Amino acid sequence: MRSTIRRGFLLLIGLILLALPLAASASEHNSSQTLFREASNLIAAGDYQAALKTLDQISPPSGRDDAGDFVKSRMQKAQLYHALGAFDEAGSSCREVLALFPDHMEATQFLASLAKAQKSKLALFFDDMKLFLPSLIHGAGMTLFLVVITMMISPLGGLLLALGRMSGVAPLRGLCWSIIWFFRGTPLLLQLFFIYYGLPAFGVTLSPTISAIIGLGINYSAYLAEIIRAGIESIDHGQMEAAKAIGMSYTQAMRRVIIPQTYKRLMPPVGNEFIALIKDTALVSTIAMVELMRSANQMFNTYFNVNVLIIAAMIYLLFTTIFTVTFEKIEKRVGAYENR
Amino acid sequence: MKTDNTRHAIPGDAPIIRLEKVTKRFGHTIAVNAVDLSVMPKEKVVIIGPSGSGKSTLLRAINILEEIDEGAIVFEGRQVGYVEKKGRRALDTPKNVCALRAEIGMVFQHFHLFPHMTVCENIMEGPMTVQGKSREEAHIIAVDMLKKVGLLDKQGVYPATLSGGQKQRVAIARALAMKPKIMLFDEPTSALDPELVGEVFNTIKGLADEGMTMIIVTHQMGFAREIADRVIFMESGQFVTEAPPKEFFGACMKHPRVASFVDSIL
Repeated sequence: MRSTIRRGFLLLIGLILLALPLAASASEHNSSQTLFREASNLIAAGDYQAALKTLDQISPPSGRDDAGDFVKSRMQKAQLYHALGAFDEAGSSCREVLALFPDHMEATQFLASLAKAQKSKLALFFDDMKLFLPSLIHGAGMTLFLVVITMMISPLGGLLLALGRMSGVAPLRGLCWSIIWFFRGTPLLLQLFFIYYGLPAFGVTLSPTISAIIGLGINYSAYLAEIIRAGIESIDHGQMEAAKAIGMSYTQAMRRVIIPQTYKRLMPPVGNEFIALIKDTALVSTIAMVELMRSANQMFNTYFNVNVLIIAAMIYLLFTTIFTVTFEKIEKRVGAYENR
Repeated sequence: MKTDNTRHAIPGDAPIIRLEKVTKRFGHTIAVNAVDLSVMPKEKVVIIGPSGSGKSTLLRAINILEEIDEGAIVFEGRQVGYVEKKGRRALDTPKNVCALRAEIGMVFQHFHLFPHMTVCENIMEGPMTVQGKSREEAHIIAVDMLKKVGLLDKQGVYPATLSGGQKQRVAIARALAMKPKIMLFDEPTSALDPELVGEVFNTIKGLADEGMTMIIVTHQMGFAREIADRVIFMESGQFVTEAPPKEFFGACMKHPRVASFVDSIL
């Protein structure tokens, strides 16, 4: 019984000894907390200037004192200034903290986001451009490569298909008709898939680049074939007769007389096709080709930044604009004989 | 108006071109019905007749622009457009057809100049592409031909800027540049304004005076009267009557069809 009382007494003494310094610090703590409470009441009331002044009363720590309240007050000030749009003051609040704790993470980040907030939208866009352009340009190079290659293949393929389609030899005519029918009648995406993923089943494995060139080349040849055929058939039949009458063969008449006259008529529809081609190259991103669309997609998935898509769209527009203007110029030049 | 170069068919002389029972059908319509015709070197034959009578078809058949269904066309002893293969008639090779066409000049109603080439290039095209002549040689020929038709000053322009009469003269020069042995004119003035007929007529007349063999299909009675050694009236794919112009416009006018046709034209 006695020992129990003694143990209880000792516990009481211990508790009192423990509580003494706590009580001493609590008095100081209480004063900061009162200030914080006062400040948040003022903020709630909408008196921000008074709130800022209140927060200012929390003085920098002296010596080994705990600086938590000071840091908290300065960060709150920074946020308040930021909310008020006073970025410079918000910055100096952050710097007060950084002066004490140069590595303080919250202050550093806040300062960085302040810098960002102070930049114009345009400047931010240019920052994104700097970040995204290198890989987008790399992709755009591949897009341009595919467009140029297809632009070289498809008029030739289209001409051969068109001539075959108009040929007097029935099997050749049938074959060319079928090729045009098939490649115009099925989606380009499906054709690309078939060439890249399907042909290996038949023992033909092609690289993505070769697959893309073959797919785009044949598809666009089929489309151009019908345009070219229409162009050739639109030339007055008398031209062919006049060419034959001076002894030209069919081939000579086509090459020297008929086809040169189709150029002007072909420019608008062919230009149209080539603009469609620029955009259709985006489809080859599905067969592991890294071109503009795929680059943009990759960057977007990494950064979730919509500016990537805007910049990619701008590059596509740049390409189509250059093509449109160029084709208009060429059209004027090849048709010059009509109004000279 | 007859010149020294005028000549009539003399028996025993070899015709430059001979048509034997030439027949051409379009479906059930017979455009040319078993026509016989011999044209002597330097002879000028004018064919007249109502439209749809088969004149143009006949002319086009000579240049193998129309295939014929029966008969034969013989140009300087060679059959035109066809060969006998195991007793059957077959189309000649394109190469032979082209070679023959190169020797037969043809002028169309609607000129058919190549619009993407200058006047000079139009004329140079045949000699260069077909005969393989150099640009310089072809240019000399073109200048020569343009002098002949009186359009040397137009050599650098495109056909679009020319009048109809000028276009037809260039078309004549283009045909002449191939140095043809015979010239076929398919209604050369029918597409022209009346005031432009004269210049084309004079060009053809000049050619006739030089002794060019020619077959002219026309509605211009003046042509027939002034140029022809022989005028043929064609109707429904057949030759109704043929005679030297004096006779034709004299005695033959008694022929009721000829009389009514000539009346309708004049």
